[in-house]
Amino acid sequence: MTTAAARGLADRVCFSDFQRFLSLFAQGLAGKFLHVKVIETSAAGSGTKRIIDGESIHLPAEIADFAARDHNLGAYRIAVLHQIGFLVEGTLDFDLAGLLQTHSRPALLRRVFATIEDMRIDAAIRRRYPGARGDLDRVLARALALRPPTSTMRPVPALVEALLQYSLGAAPAALQDSGCSDLLGGLIAKAAVVQREGAHVDASARAALSICEELEKLFRRPTRHFAPAAQQDIAQPTESIESLDDEGFSASDAAALWVEYRGELITVASPKRLTGGQIAAGGQGQDTEAAMKGRVAGSSNNAENVGDSARSVPTMVRTAVSAGPRSFLYDEWNFHQQSYLSAWCRVYEQRLRGDDFGFIGGVRSRHSVLAKEVRRRFLSIKPLSWQRVRRTSDGDELDLDGVIESVIDRRTGHDADAHLYIRRDRARRDVSAAFLVDMSASTDFPLPDPAATKVAPADVPPGQPPDSGLYLYGGQEEYPAARPAPKRRVIDVAKDALALMCEALHTLGDNYAIYGFSGDGRHNVEFHVAKDFADKLNARTWAALAAMQPRRSTRMGAAIRHAVAKLGKEPAGMKVLIIVSDGYPEDHDYGEDRTDREYGIQDTARALQEAQRAGIVDFCITIDPAGQDYLRRMCAASRYLIIDDVTALPRELSKVYRTLTS
Amino acid sequence: MDSHGAASRLIDEPWYLPLADEVQIFEAAYRARLPVLLKGPTGCGKTRFVEHMAWRLYRQGDTARQSLELPLLTVACHEDLTATDLVGRYLLSGDETVWMDGPLTRAVRSGAICYLDEVVEARKDTTVVIHSLTDHRRVLPIEKTGELLDAHPDFLLVISYNPGYQSVLKDLKPSTRQRFVSLAFDYPSIDVEATIIAHESGVDAALAQRLALVGEKVRNLREHGFEEGVSTRLLIYAAQLAAGGIEPRRACDVAIARAVTDDAEVQQAIGAIVDVVLP
Repeated sequence: MTTAAARGLADRVCFSDFQRFLSLFAQGLAGKFLHVKVIETSAAGSGTKRIIDGESIHLPAEIADFAARDHNLGAYRIAVLHQIGFLVEGTLDFDLAGLLQTHSRPALLRRVFATIEDMRIDAAIRRRYPGARGDLDRVLARALALRPPTSTMRPVPALVEALLQYSLGAAPAALQDSGCSDLLGGLIAKAAVVQREGAHVDASARAALSICEELEKLFRRPTRHFAPAAQQDIAQPTESIESLDDEGFSASDAAALWVEYRGELITVASPKRLTGGQIAAGGQGQDTEAAMKGRVAGSSNNAENVGDSARSVPTMVRTAVSAGPRSFLYDEWNFHQQSYLSAWCRVYEQRLRGDDFGFIGGVRSRHSVLAKEVRRRFLSIKPLSWQRVRRTSDGDELDLDGVIESVIDRRTGHDADAHLYIRRDRARRDVSAAFLVDMSASTDFPLPDPAATKVAPADVPPGQPPDSGLYLYGGQEEYPAARPAPKRRVIDVAKDALALMCEALHTLGDNYAIYGFSGDGRHNVEFHVAKDFADKLNARTWAALAAMQPRRSTRMGAAIRHAVAKLGKEPAGMKVLIIVSDGYPEDHDYGEDRTDREYGIQDTARALQEAQRAGIVDFCITIDPAGQDYLRRMCAASRYLIIDDVTALPRELSKVYRTLTS
Repeated sequence: MDSHGAASRLIDEPWYLPLADEVQIFEAAYRARLPVLLKGPTGCGKTRFVEHMAWRLYRQGDTARQSLELPLLTVACHEDLTATDLVGRYLLSGDETVWMDGPLTRAVRSGAICYLDEVVEARKDTTVVIHSLTDHRRVLPIEKTGELLDAHPDFLLVISYNPGYQSVLKDLKPSTRQRFVSLAFDYPSIDVEATIIAHESGVDAALAQRLALVGEKVRNLREHGFEEGVSTRLLIYAAQLAAGGIEPRRACDVAIARAVTDDAEVQQAIGAIVDVVLP
């Protein structure tokens, strides 16, 4: 669907304007998220490749084929429907590579199969989406008009082209001049079977094999039977079609066989049906083809079987969606263009699960003094009082002022207020807090071991305690110098700090969540949930917290936006977002390149502003001595804290929280 | 007492299409007077199911329960609803106060089914009155009058809640939850949903089938701002508008696309889904 130069720009529809719409449209119909991408066209023009892999849909950068804008948008919709068709109609479950391996002319079989499969998908679209028939007819008619005439082609390519034109809606009568009219009728009849309701991909494979078998006969016929007068100057009269190389066929007709809205059928799905063992057992050539046909016939003879396999595809897709991580799209602020990139980042939310159930025990022993201190500090802000709510319609005692006013009102002939009671409600802290922890690769950085600075005196042999008293209480092998503790990393200290916060907040009764974030590119921002607001604090929570590990990049803006969205659903009067990070925001496509720090900083600043507008109190804690440079551009001075010594994080975090929420 | 319409008195059978064995389970629960908890997304038919069951149990067959004027008392719970609102209160009348039963007390006295819709929305003090009614005691303590009211033998408590949008502050405590037989509801399959749409709206089976397919496709977009997808109720609304002469695509626009989201692009995508699915 290339741009028609003569057409006015006003009717043109650009992919970039409709990317999110097309993505939503595809997700709704397919039942799963699909990457909607623009086709990358190479300079040569013929290098466009779209792999139908069940994960993405490839669309042209713009469509201006039709006079009306709606029709151009309709062409986009048809391209989406057709490519989704490969997913929901079972094409991707079919082992095309396995089928091709068994055939003596794989390139020919692939083309015939692709044409027939396209025809089956279009027929299914017609049945499934009757409202799309108008757009489909228009797109098919346009594609048909661009096809080359078959009269100038050699017989086999002419028949394949005729078949393709039939799939685009050409009337069989109009194709009779292809020079092989004696065969074409039979081929069309074989192909048309796949247009019936309930036809599965097996039917396409069977039809393709059968058609190739017919074409094989043609390869063996003497040339003179097929070459019409117009063709003789192209095809050498002495040339036998049998001598045509199968790959040569593919090269000479690759461009001619391209129908843009359909995409090119290069499936990369794993073989699910015809196993390698079956292929090997059959060997090469006709035997395997016969075995394949037998298998196909066997499965399709059983009508119930066909129905089942046809139905099983959407079911399988639905299961996959419900079991996988949930994903969300967020805008991103493009600092260079001073505008939002709509639905730019996809955030995958998933649960952290761990099996380190001893984690919290370790935290308590490492920070026994601090844990008590934090808990005591938080207890002091816990409200224990009851609050009296006056003038309610019901309560434990009468509101004397109200009663007096009511009596006066009544005696003076006015309506008396019936809200005469005082109700006692327990004062409750109305706080929801989210902790968002940077899980980027840099949090793997090992901390200097504080014990290592206390070097044993030189005269003490290695492994020997300096104090003989200590030696008496523990064996030599128990002495720490003999068994150094594992290196602690930035993330380990962050986890300790959060664990202490969990205990303290549990005491306080505030509602809180703990999230981690990382990712790799805008399509794959990871959002890990260690504890959500609705989760209770139990052994699984601790294990999930322990499972936080350094991962990849730091696309902070998208993670903040997702945390803000989750906080936004909380009913609390006060909402707090505390971000714990160890460096500036960065990702390989966060800006023009990885070194474009400003882009990430500006996007993060923007995300924090959005949080503030949503009524959320935000705070950044950074374990990066250089943090001053960028934090002051990301948030107000009262909204961040830089910690030089990471081991101070547990203490500082609790102080920050107390200050923010008291 | 107010005069009540035919709908409140359940004169006619409220139509309900069973999805599984929920009717048999409810009947068995009623025979044993076990309280029932219904959970499921909004607009999937929980309230209709209770109405249908009340009709079956109180209006069908030769039962003394036929004489009860109001077999079902429904309370739509909200965050300001207190135990007093359920149990009753003293009202000022002239120079004196008069006791007025709340809906729960009326159901307990008369032997009706009391249905507390979205019970977790109500204030926590409501659970106190629920607990004593839902175990072997079957009593309702009325603190203000000092009365300990034994439940009528026919009384049954039914509550519903929607797990989809509850937070930790509004969740059923295990101590409450574990007093109920729990029936989970979800949106029905396409064929069943189409039957429901056709019956409730009067549109033909073909359009109903298409609308049910729209429902399934739109629910695939539930992560984009409407966690529960589109309810069967909304699909019925669209069908009713279409049956009333509104062009079906326009009916879906106002009853589905604009009802589930304010995001213009999501609305546009739903519009495109409707456009291709409808004939």
